[in-house]
Amino acid sequence: MYHFDWPLFFQYIWPPTAFHDPLIRNGLIATIIISVVAQALGVVLGLFVALGKMSKFPLFRLLAEAYIWYFRGTPLLVQMMLLFFGLGVTHIYDFPDIKLGVLVISGAIQAGTLALGVNEGAYMAEIVRAGIEAIDPGQMEAAKSLGMTYGLAMQRIVLPQAAKVIIPPLGNEFNSMMKTTSLMEVISASELFFGFTQVNARLFKPFELFIAASLYYLALTTIWSFVQARIESGLGERKGAERGPGMMERLFSGATGKGAR
Amino acid sequence: MVTPTTPSVKLADSNIIVKAENVNKYFGALHVLKDMDLEVRRNEVVVIIGPSGSGKSTFLRCINHLEKINSGHIYVNGHMIGYHDRNGKLVEDSERNISRQRAEIGMVFQRFNLFPHLTAIENIIEAPMRVRKIPEEQARAEGERLLARVGLADKRDKYPNQISGGQQQRVAIARALAMKPGLMLFDEPTSALDPEMIGEVLDVMKELAHEMTMIVVSHEMGFARAAANRIVFVDEGQIIEQASPEEFFANPRSERTRLFLSQILH
Repeated sequence: MYHFDWPLFFQYIWPPTAFHDPLIRNGLIATIIISVVAQALGVVLGLFVALGKMSKFPLFRLLAEAYIWYFRGTPLLVQMMLLFFGLGVTHIYDFPDIKLGVLVISGAIQAGTLALGVNEGAYMAEIVRAGIEAIDPGQMEAAKSLGMTYGLAMQRIVLPQAAKVIIPPLGNEFNSMMKTTSLMEVISASELFFGFTQVNARLFKPFELFIAASLYYLALTTIWSFVQARIESGLGERKGAERGPGMMERLFSGATGKGAR
Repeated sequence: MVTPTTPSVKLADSNIIVKAENVNKYFGALHVLKDMDLEVRRNEVVVIIGPSGSGKSTFLRCINHLEKINSGHIYVNGHMIGYHDRNGKLVEDSERNISRQRAEIGMVFQRFNLFPHLTAIENIIEAPMRVRKIPEEQARAEGERLLARVGLADKRDKYPNQISGGQQQRVAIARALAMKPGLMLFDEPTSALDPEMIGEVLDVMKELAHEMTMIVVSHEMGFARAAANRIVFVDEGQIIEQASPEEFFANPRSERTRLFLSQILH
């Protein structure tokens, strides 16, 4: 029978002791930062791709379609490897470490974050487009009739309303993003899961360590779902709309996460 | 046709606010506007009536280029709208030029189209501030004056979903007026309202009719009688007849007009 190493398990799930190990502490910090940066990149790219897809210029539509087609039609893991090693061996971009004050951002982290963000852009594009299309076309017409250009009307009238539609699925995307960062382990980007695999390489306690790792991700996504519920109820109150699903519903409905792609 | 088409004075006569010549429009194979001609002079109030699907709303929407046209010309304030003429072919204007022209044309929609994420006053000051670059303080002062004028000074900080349909439409009128347009277009402004709210909107419009150039697509014959200088009857994409309200209701010339009037006046 397998002897479960409880002391080791507790050492690695209890943050004060686990954080003695810089692999875990820095990995957790990196995971959070990577998730935020990649999601932000995804939102910005998604907005432009969505506008491209709705453009009256066929070239923009074609580019947007191709982008979505590729990044949703191929595995993220493949995209990540292609970006990191592909650009490296061709010397298009070697991913050198970037020093930001005391912080050093490794090439693997850059490549991984970029891949996550670019991939996310394709998913966000569809979410943003659905959000914009949910807005009554009369809003754009009214704005235009007041002398606003398309860009101004989008920015001031349509997008602020679309945001209300976009924010709930965006929250779910971020939940997914925090988990998907673990794929970066394969390119040795020092995020949380990479930290645990390194510890495991040293101690060879995969059962204990990977349960511990899963609990860290569970903590991140649970905390996020509280934040998300708070944001969405705030949205509802201000605009007089109906409330979104509650915390418990969100945690246990199983409809939110889509796991690694 | 009752009124003969006046000779082509277009850009020279600054009292002609709208001039449409031979306007044709198709939705696919459907010919919705057939050689429409219309001239509206400064301070004139023109009410366009006609059966639903006759093209009257579409025609109104062509006047501020919310709809494209397939041939013909529409001049507003002396300039062709939406297009310029390049060797006899219509070429669509730049977005900037179209927007600039639209800023001088107020439009009121059937379904109000107020911005739901903005309060009444914010709805009104948005375009003056962003398009005309008027400082916020000045825009607010002007906006409050307009709200008072449509009788809604106390609704200043309400969101559209917190006020009635009639009040929303009055805010929408104030929003259009805030750009100080030379021409106001009303696209069935009372059709989406409960009957008890129609009067308050028509009262505001009657007030405006004393001082503005207006083109109104409407089924409100009472308003047409009281405020219009001219009534234009449109059917199947054509202007069938136009005349002063007295003339129009007393002696409709065409059979189609008589039939339409008998249907709506019971």
